[in-house]
Amino acid sequence: MNSNLLEINDLYVKAEEKEILKGMNLKINKGEIHVIMGPNGSGKSTTANAILNNPSYIKTNGTITFDGENITNSKTDEIARKGIFMSFQLPEEIPGVSVTNFLKYAKNKVTGKPVKIFEFKNELKKYMQELNINPSYMERSLNVGFSGGEKKKNEILQLLVLNPKLAILDETDSGLDVDAIKTVSKGIEMFKNKKNAVLIITHNTKILSNLKPDYVHILVDGKIVKTGTYELAKEIEENGYSKYRIEKK
Amino acid sequence: MAKTKIEDINRNIYDIKNEDEYEFKIEKGLTPDIIKEISKQKNEPDWMRDFRLKALEIYNKLELPTWGPDISELNMNDIATYVKPKSKLNSSWDDVPEDIKNTFDKLGIPEAEKESLAGVGAQYDSEVVYHSMKEELIKQGVIYTDMETAVKKYPGIVKEHFMKCVPIYDHKFVALHGAVWSGGSFVYVPEGVKVDIPLQSYFRLNSPEAGQFEHTLIIVNEGASLHFIEGCSAPKYNKVNLHAGCVELYVKDNAHLRYSTIENWSKNMLNLNTKKALVGKNASMEWVSGSFGSKVSMLYPMSILNGEGAKTEFTGISFAGKGQNLDNGFKVVHNAPNTSSVVNSKSISKDGGKCTYRALTRINKQAKKSKGMVSCESLMLDDISISDTIPVNDVRTETAEFSHEAKIGKISDKAIFYLMSRGMSEEDAKAMIVRGFAYPISKELPVEYAVEMNNLINLELEGAIG
Amino acid sequence: MEKIKLNETPVRTSRNFNMNNIKLENIKIPKVIKTFDNISINNETSKIQIEKTSNNNYDLTYGLGNIFTNQVKNNSNQSLKVQVDSKTNKELQIDFKFDSNNSNLVDSIIINANESSKGTIIIKYLSDENKEYYHNGIIKLFAKKNSNINVIVVNLLNSNSNNFVSIDNELCENANVNYTIIDFGGKNSISNYYSNLKGEHSSNSLNSIYLGKENQLFDLNYIAELRGIKTNIDIEVQGALTDKAIKHFKGTIDFKKGAKKAKGNENESCMLLSDNAKSLALPMLLCSEEDVEGNHSSSSGKTGEKELFYIMSRGFDIKEAMKLMVRAKFNKILENIKNEDLKNQIINEIDKKLD
Repeated sequence: MNSNLLEINDLYVKAEEKEILKGMNLKINKGEIHVIMGPNGSGKSTTANAILNNPSYIKTNGTITFDGENITNSKTDEIARKGIFMSFQLPEEIPGVSVTNFLKYAKNKVTGKPVKIFEFKNELKKYMQELNINPSYMERSLNVGFSGGEKKKNEILQLLVLNPKLAILDETDSGLDVDAIKTVSKGIEMFKNKKNAVLIITHNTKILSNLKPDYVHILVDGKIVKTGTYELAKEIEENGYSKYRIEKK
Repeated sequence: MAKTKIEDINRNIYDIKNEDEYEFKIEKGLTPDIIKEISKQKNEPDWMRDFRLKALEIYNKLELPTWGPDISELNMNDIATYVKPKSKLNSSWDDVPEDIKNTFDKLGIPEAEKESLAGVGAQYDSEVVYHSMKEELIKQGVIYTDMETAVKKYPGIVKEHFMKCVPIYDHKFVALHGAVWSGGSFVYVPEGVKVDIPLQSYFRLNSPEAGQFEHTLIIVNEGASLHFIEGCSAPKYNKVNLHAGCVELYVKDNAHLRYSTIENWSKNMLNLNTKKALVGKNASMEWVSGSFGSKVSMLYPMSILNGEGAKTEFTGISFAGKGQNLDNGFKVVHNAPNTSSVVNSKSISKDGGKCTYRALTRINKQAKKSKGMVSCESLMLDDISISDTIPVNDVRTETAEFSHEAKIGKISDKAIFYLMSRGMSEEDAKAMIVRGFAYPISKELPVEYAVEMNNLINLELEGAIG
Repeated sequence: MEKIKLNETPVRTSRNFNMNNIKLENIKIPKVIKTFDNISINNETSKIQIEKTSNNNYDLTYGLGNIFTNQVKNNSNQSLKVQVDSKTNKELQIDFKFDSNNSNLVDSIIINANESSKGTIIIKYLSDENKEYYHNGIIKLFAKKNSNINVIVVNLLNSNSNNFVSIDNELCENANVNYTIIDFGGKNSISNYYSNLKGEHSSNSLNSIYLGKENQLFDLNYIAELRGIKTNIDIEVQGALTDKAIKHFKGTIDFKKGAKKAKGNENESCMLLSDNAKSLALPMLLCSEEDVEGNHSSSSGKTGEKELFYIMSRGFDIKEAMKLMVRAKFNKILENIKNEDLKNQIINEIDKKLD
């Protein structure tokens, strides 16, 4: 059985006419937690958006393979239905669409099966309890008027409900207080199993202490310049990225 | 990204045409003789006949509006102003002629009546063919009948209120209405009576090249309350049809009235309707309005806040598709201290359709410490459509607080990407965003009462899941 | 005397709303225009040239109306042409001073801003206190590619006078035009402002303040047409009215087909300082293009009671407190004026008017 889930091969990506990713390579296997760290503008979020094929990001070279299929040019919704989930750095507000209706609809799209209302609502309630989300949020418009922390928790709630094969968390921990980070990492732990994988994009290490990543990649100027273990993240926390910037030159 | 495709409203039900059968159809055009003939057909008292003739005179003197949509294709010589259906007024659906009853059946009216309405009126062409109300409301002294009956049975009340709130010289089409009005509903709610379940009148224009000119007069007395629903539709013909109805609402002190409209006229209809409410002390007037049909619509309901502490709210949506020019809005005049108005208007333009929000908020000098708040949002679904916002804000007292906000734009690409990342196709994502945009208004519309709402923007998320 | 109708809006609305135009009574439009010589010109650089011209051959898209436009085109007593070639932001200041020998001004000012030029043009209208003066003027600006131009128009006429102004701008690719209009003077001050943003990426900001007292009437009709892709208009209008002053504000942002990714913002706010003042606003958004962002907001009403109380609790009397609040409100717009002398002159005028 092939344990490989995601493979990015020599990827070049432009955003707003500027080249951001310049020969990115990455391999993720089932059961693994990967972390990408890097300074601002190094291409972390671009990586996430490129995997989901956001039309604002143009791929000029390279391939992305997921679960044995080439998804480089697949449409975003197809990629989502194949089992990739992205937690957004800035989740969009969708007025007039309740959290419950949205998730029911998305679940139906992702699984291709009818959603059983009663079971679904119970599942939702359970997850909301675990994530300390006030039950009144079920009927509120998606992300509208949510605080930064509430939006991020809602992303994790979606992750649990949609249960993808690969979860990409784009700066999910940024701007959160200690308690919220704990809740978010608890959610990720609930999600994680041997058959799926997690890719965490972050620039701080707080969230990593609970999650024990298998690999830490340092992304500088559109390329992964170093791959290591959790130790590498701790080193970055102490010394910053300057060493890797100089190395590159 | 591909262009948004939002489905047209499914019109199958509305487009059922019955044979143009009638008991009497007046010759086309407008002359004193025609007016006298209408009055004679209706067996009216002399005062009403004289009123009609005076209105005709004023009609001939007034000019067409110098602003707004082009309505020059309207030629009154081509319009039959009075079409008497081959049915008398009934209080049982069984007595309504088969084909007319079938039409209302398909529109879901008798069904809604059983389930969720306290009373129903149904007009077919120029006359009301069905009127009925629950027994307990009759016992409480509530009157709900057709306008013709009211003229004969309650001449005192009618004379005191008829076209006093909307005077015939207001504009040309009000004068026209005064001359040729026919049908419509009369509602009288006595002091302190709360009508908890809505009353609904449904207006159906079947006859081609005809006009509908129903008159709705509602009096909600001190401390009483009412929810009234008005629905309108017509099958599509190639020639122009005209709707110039008039709605007069008297909301007395401490009373409450909610007036909901779902307008889905066919796309050959010129909808030049006039609606006005006089609102008393501490009374409240709520308008809910969905405008989906018509070729041209010029509709600006108005609240006049005459009593201290009076409140009004307007919640409306317009959805203009190909060939439609929907010029809608709301007018409010604050005439007393501590009054308040809240306006929430949305519009969607697609396939070359045009939506205009045209409005007035006037806070007069005597309206001390009054508050006005207006918010309008317009969504453009393609680059061949048009969306204009033309609001006048007129504040004449320093003690008032007034604010106005408007936004125009398209569906955000980021929001589409977000929804697509959750497995929805681009089409689904856009439809979901449009439905969400309309939701604050659609949730106020009486969805459960009439079948038509279900067909409007295919609002149900549940339906997709099955 | 008959009423004259002027300053029509680009789109009409119901006549009963009284906003489609302004009707004025008892306006004496002088038939014979005597000379007007009391002008002073202050120029920082020879790269901004000013000369007299007899050529008033340009077109206005709107203007106040034929009577006023034709008077300027055919009968002006001051026709100036400003040529901007400077590559750094230098200032040209033109002062028109009304007095009993110079009581009628009909002026035409053409500003040609060359490619990549920069400059600030300050145009001031001042008067002595007593007499009724008449001003009717046109400012026509051509902003070429990559030019960056600031225009400051200051109306400090006395409140017996009549002030009529039409401004008409054409913006080419990447042009950036900033207008600041200080509208304080005149018994009637009627202004029409039009910008044609035809060049892609062109951008126009219009910041305006008015301050009305006694029986002053302000009629502001501002129109921006966005035609080029990624064009941008920002309109910010702040005002205060006391006594029986009246203001009509008509602001139109018109997204024409083809103005993809254009943005338009309009914000209008009026402080009412008296219960006899009237504030009317018609903020229009017209849109024939999908991929645009348009916003407008308008508000009017009382000065904040809480703020007023706070300021007064620090020992200011009510008049001073009001002045402070009005100044605070205008400050954002006054910040655009880099010329300190001019700024102080305006602030003094605010204080004087609110005394």
